[in-house]
Amino acid sequence: MIRYLSLYREFLIQRFKILMEYRVNFIIGSTSTIFVQAAGLLTIWVVMRQIPSLNGWSFDEVLMIYGLVTLAKSINHMFADNLWTIGWYYVRSGGFDRFLVRPIDPLFHLLADRFCHDGIGNFLVGAALVVKSSVSLGLVWTPLKVLYLVSAVLSGGAIFMALNLITATSAFWLMESIPVTQVIFNTHEFAKYPLSIYHKGISLILTWLIPYGFASFYPASYLLGRDVGAMAWLGPVVAAMLLAISYRVWLVGLRHYSGTGS
Amino acid sequence: MMRRLRRTLAIYGSVASMTPKTFLAYSIWVWVEFFLQIMAMIIFVYFWRAVYAGGGALNGLSLRQTLNYILLAQIILPLAQTRAVFRFGFIIREGQLIIELLRPLDFQAAEYADSIARLGLYLLLKLPLVVIAWLFFGLQLPANPAVWGAFAVALVLGHAVLFFFDWAYACLAFYTTETWGLSVVREGVAAFFSGALVPLAFMPGWLQGVANALPFAQGLYVPISILSGIAPLSDVPRLWLVQIIWLVSMLAASRLIFRVAVRTVTVQGG
Repeated sequence: MIRYLSLYREFLIQRFKILMEYRVNFIIGSTSTIFVQAAGLLTIWVVMRQIPSLNGWSFDEVLMIYGLVTLAKSINHMFADNLWTIGWYYVRSGGFDRFLVRPIDPLFHLLADRFCHDGIGNFLVGAALVVKSSVSLGLVWTPLKVLYLVSAVLSGGAIFMALNLITATSAFWLMESIPVTQVIFNTHEFAKYPLSIYHKGISLILTWLIPYGFASFYPASYLLGRDVGAMAWLGPVVAAMLLAISYRVWLVGLRHYSGTGS
Repeated sequence: MMRRLRRTLAIYGSVASMTPKTFLAYSIWVWVEFFLQIMAMIIFVYFWRAVYAGGGALNGLSLRQTLNYILLAQIILPLAQTRAVFRFGFIIREGQLIIELLRPLDFQAAEYADSIARLGLYLLLKLPLVVIAWLFFGLQLPANPAVWGAFAVALVLGHAVLFFFDWAYACLAFYTTETWGLSVVREGVAAFFSGALVPLAFMPGWLQGVANALPFAQGLYVPISILSGIAPLSDVPRLWLVQIIWLVSMLAASRLIFRVAVRTVTVQGG
């Protein structure tokens, strides 16, 4: 474990050396997602300025939901973005073989190969939203609540990673995984708003099948003092289970991998 | 004169006819976009229903009108996304720029032919989406053929405005060589100010001012408000005129900027 942590540090240092070669690109890349977030946020602001609440959620409360899912997404974006590229960049080119002959876990190698600076912008936006929301609502941050927030964001990040890992594994069969990953990944858009605005079936799917609800709606409800029962505490459990499942799926895929012979 | 014109049309016509073939080769992406758009529609329908839960009209628009507008905007939205940035990035990286410039036809005109063919193909491919929106989300389409005609003209004009704007914007790639970030910025700004996420009527005055000062609304808000009935037919000539002014100035700007920017390019030895 410690060996892997220090290895990750080495990978990170190398990655930053590469990134710093192209400083302008680094800055554009890390800040550009802020514009996309701004589009979504401006929309919510423009609309909610004119109505008292969205299904009983005030503007600042919706920002908390939006902020939590954005933070969780940014964790995945920074540390596991390479799951998107596995098909076209590693498997199809045969570059994946490189990971298999090295004395470290291939999944670790894949993730550590590319820290993605593009996620920094999302992280900043998410953090700003949580701060703005809690200041406007006058939330009191006890140490327990801070711990809850950190664990909620990490669990949310893990849910993003696990779902992306499951879908990325399809690359071992299809040579290309982005289409599948994209469709599942995009369902997180639902989790930017209170799950209670949707049909019951949709919120069930986002709780038990594609559990992005645990990355936003349930922890936000708890932090805002709304009663969602045990759901407030299930996030880390769901994340751990999903990670375990996704790792099994990955191992099955890995066994299936036979290289492209190029 | 006539023969030359016919020859020119034949050349650019064959460029345009290549577009469907490349599309068919990547049909998986057509499906992905299809799923994503249905997903976005579902989210928007529930979001707007919750917004209108209090009943009545907001900014003079009823729930029905707003949903009609938003559903149509979501179907058209991918058209307002940029392609030129990626295309320029690609031809610079691969060293293809030289080849494009050496060809005995106008580079921009050839790309436009490709782009307009994409527009037609796109509309065809999206027909199932329109049917789904009509069946499940209560989309209403106008019965008056004049509205359809006005929409078609506004769409082609607006598409051209965005095409020439993107041409000028993509010239930034000659300086930065970074394209992902450029396209993300462009997409974020366009998604909001084109009116794809929320009708311009909802925005406070100063934001509407910004939206009108940017070209994106010409490509999306204008045609969609005609088709969804937000803009009455009597307003159409004025809307067209504004679009044409945008079109002419963007065309001039894009050619000028390209001529300046292309001098700076260092083609990587691909």
